[in-house]
Amino acid sequence: MPTQVPKKVSRRDFNRLAAGAAAVAPFFLFPDRAPAGQKKLKIAKWAHFVPQYDSWFESMAVEWGRQHDTKVTVDEIPVEKISAAAAAEIKAAKGHDVFMFPWAPAEYYQSAIDHTEIYQQVASKYGSIPQLAHRSTLNLKNKTHFAFADFWAPSPLQFRQDYWAKVGLPLGPGHYGSLYSGGKQLRDEFGIPCGLAFTPTLEGNITLHTMLYAFRAWILDAGGEVMFNKSVFAVSALQYLQKLYKESGTPEQLSWEAGGNVRSMLAGKTSCTTNAISLLRAAEKQDPAVAAKIWIQPPLLGTNGVGVTALPHITNCSVVWNFSQNQDNAKKFVADLIDSSRTAYTTSLGFNFPIYPKTVPDLIVRLTKDPQADPALKYTLLKDALHWTPNLGVPGFATPAYMEVFNSFLVPKMVQSVLKGESSPEDAAAAAAAAIERIADKWKQIG
Amino acid sequence: MKTIHEQTSLVVVAVIAMMGLVFLAVPNLSAAQVTGVAAFNPPPCDYNDTFYKDNGLDPNQVFGRFGTARRTGPPATGKQVNWVADSTCAQRDPDRRNFRILATTGGFPDDGTGTPTEFISLLGFVISPQAFETTYSRTVGAINGGLDGDQQNAGEVISIAASANPRGITMQTLVSNFEAYPAVRQRLAGGQIALNPCQADMVSNLAPAQPCFDLGNPNAVATPNLRQDWRFATNRNAMDGSDNNCISNDPTVCTQPGTTGTAPAQNDSPFGYFCDDLLGMWVNTYFWFTVDPADHTSPLGITCTPILKTLGQTNGLTTDGTPIVKTANELNVQLEANGCAAEAKMSFAGTDKGPVWDVCPAIPDPRAGAIAPDAFLDQVHNSNGVPQNLGLTLNFLSLQIFGVFFNELTSGQQSQVNSASTTAAN
Repeated sequence: MPTQVPKKVSRRDFNRLAAGAAAVAPFFLFPDRAPAGQKKLKIAKWAHFVPQYDSWFESMAVEWGRQHDTKVTVDEIPVEKISAAAAAEIKAAKGHDVFMFPWAPAEYYQSAIDHTEIYQQVASKYGSIPQLAHRSTLNLKNKTHFAFADFWAPSPLQFRQDYWAKVGLPLGPGHYGSLYSGGKQLRDEFGIPCGLAFTPTLEGNITLHTMLYAFRAWILDAGGEVMFNKSVFAVSALQYLQKLYKESGTPEQLSWEAGGNVRSMLAGKTSCTTNAISLLRAAEKQDPAVAAKIWIQPPLLGTNGVGVTALPHITNCSVVWNFSQNQDNAKKFVADLIDSSRTAYTTSLGFNFPIYPKTVPDLIVRLTKDPQADPALKYTLLKDALHWTPNLGVPGFATPAYMEVFNSFLVPKMVQSVLKGESSPEDAAAAAAAAIERIADKWKQIG
Repeated sequence: MKTIHEQTSLVVVAVIAMMGLVFLAVPNLSAAQVTGVAAFNPPPCDYNDTFYKDNGLDPNQVFGRFGTARRTGPPATGKQVNWVADSTCAQRDPDRRNFRILATTGGFPDDGTGTPTEFISLLGFVISPQAFETTYSRTVGAINGGLDGDQQNAGEVISIAASANPRGITMQTLVSNFEAYPAVRQRLAGGQIALNPCQADMVSNLAPAQPCFDLGNPNAVATPNLRQDWRFATNRNAMDGSDNNCISNDPTVCTQPGTTGTAPAQNDSPFGYFCDDLLGMWVNTYFWFTVDPADHTSPLGITCTPILKTLGQTNGLTTDGTPIVKTANELNVQLEANGCAAEAKMSFAGTDKGPVWDVCPAIPDPRAGAIAPDAFLDQVHNSNGVPQNLGLTLNFLSLQIFGVFFNELTSGQQSQVNSASTTAAN
């Protein structure tokens, strides 16, 4: 829903308004038009999972516009429509000035300005570019930054402690082997399935890309070459998923739309899932008693030498389009956002982890003293989240090829074909590998 | 650091091997007698009950705990004992109890070098998550009435609530960051090699589930049941960057693969073994071969046989006749990626009945007295009685006699170690 943020009426504007209704009528009739001479800034952002954050963001944008003689508009777009909206703007070479993605928009680098100067500008206050931002927004070919990352959201395991305690795992499964054996027992004996998301949604994408990484079934290597299905790991991971789904899952895992895994956990229908903490925040708001039963743990311990790891649920990346008519203002707004990181953390109820640690220097204290936490130290387990959160694209960078794989939902589609019995793990892995090869080749040619 | 093999006289090793010597402790030699190196590192002792509890573990649920159980028997052989009473333990470290550990288990650090420099004390096994405390509280340092009643101090509370310590961390979570890799024998009594464990939730799809090797007893990882020496991920230490872990946010400081620079980040772990895991616990990651080394005909055999052969020529063979695995690269990239090996952990619910976790603290610095004169090396031996890894043996004896690693000795001292080992064996 677009949010018009007209500039506060100045004395000069007031005089102009007083001069005659004809002169001011267009301003009121077409409120997205700024008064003559006033700068404009159009922002598109993904609709946050903690609604009050968006309200704050709009207010913050109003204030920023007031201070910079700029008419700011904010459009919030559901996450599932972000890619289509961005593609449409690029095709038309017009649209918003700043476009905020929930992931690294590497495949749009040709339509983005070099954001290096924003990182440099921020560095004077908050230090040099952190690893997660660097590896999520650097274009390796020309060493420019196609976006600016300001916050991210970890993806811990969230599980019903009361359920898992029934199968001897009061602290949750811990690793993928116990996820299967404990999940199977929970469904067999209590009828409660495991609730990981397997659909072509953001949460499905993050869950399954994390699982592939944890099984060492990597998509691309550090140099950007295709690794998928060049070892047994891809098929092993798919066989595991097949077994996990068949013996501990629910058919709903294949049909959930965006947020389906969250709703199912909130309803007590599933025993665990991987998600940002917006799930817990929703539970705390909806039913504190249920929230107290949902615990979080760091991600599951991987196999084949991969430790505790999970990809970020969100990597908030702002892009200033190179076709923007207001680039200077857009860059200024994006850079200034960092100054609001502390408020953003609070307003998002701890969802927005700062890319720049200095902006929320008391993060661990805040996690430890979270007023909603029940048990009291529930959120403290997120204090090391940066250690177990690599960037999308790991072990390499978030390259255009990797992000096209990500945004085309190739991985969830591959997994679904196996879980629905349409393909064997071997055939599905081979088909996906061929598709990844085509995508990688395409981007090599694009250069 | 040069490898042991680079500095070991091949002639000496060959002679020792041909003689079929079994290296034992060197009871007549002490570090002080031979080297004059100050013995400032104390030898290992068991922790006291309070320290176990303070760190979230119920000592009564540590199976086979040294000082209480397993005085004789594996890994001790003959007249050896695994531990002795020693009244100096608690004097040197109040967190210890007066049982000193003689059984010193050797292994490979997971640092990629394959150098056998790791020495641990396998104090006991944890087979159930119930061993981890859920609630606990102890007040320490309280003072009431000192200085004629003026001094008052409520003390500090060491507590565990909802399984978490005051930092909000559960011991189980912490331990899960540190993996130890036991290699249990796969060759069955009849000579057939089993390609999967008997625990159903651990079975790999790469190989038939039957026949299987059983991990379902608390002694599953005792040395006589191992085909090769352990591997330990002591290098997972984020605190000091000792694992080449990138601890700086500045990409010009911490270079990454694909960027300019030569120091890729590795093993990013939020905890440090020696600074967070105070009980020195590990989660066991069992690994095994999914193909018989004699299988030259099946598709997997055709793929794997050359890999196994090459690795065996490099590292030597286990008691099963499979190659010794020394590094993560060998296991994960050379073997597992090609389907020639698999790994799994036991269920954290304890339903697999074997050791899910171990209490086996690594000796932080085994030099300068940490390996006592009466300690003995717990290592895998081949069927002819010869230690499987002579480098491990020589390192242990060097530490025991001279207080330093073998490659830190002069050539004359190395000769003494070889002589001492021969004498001890005789």
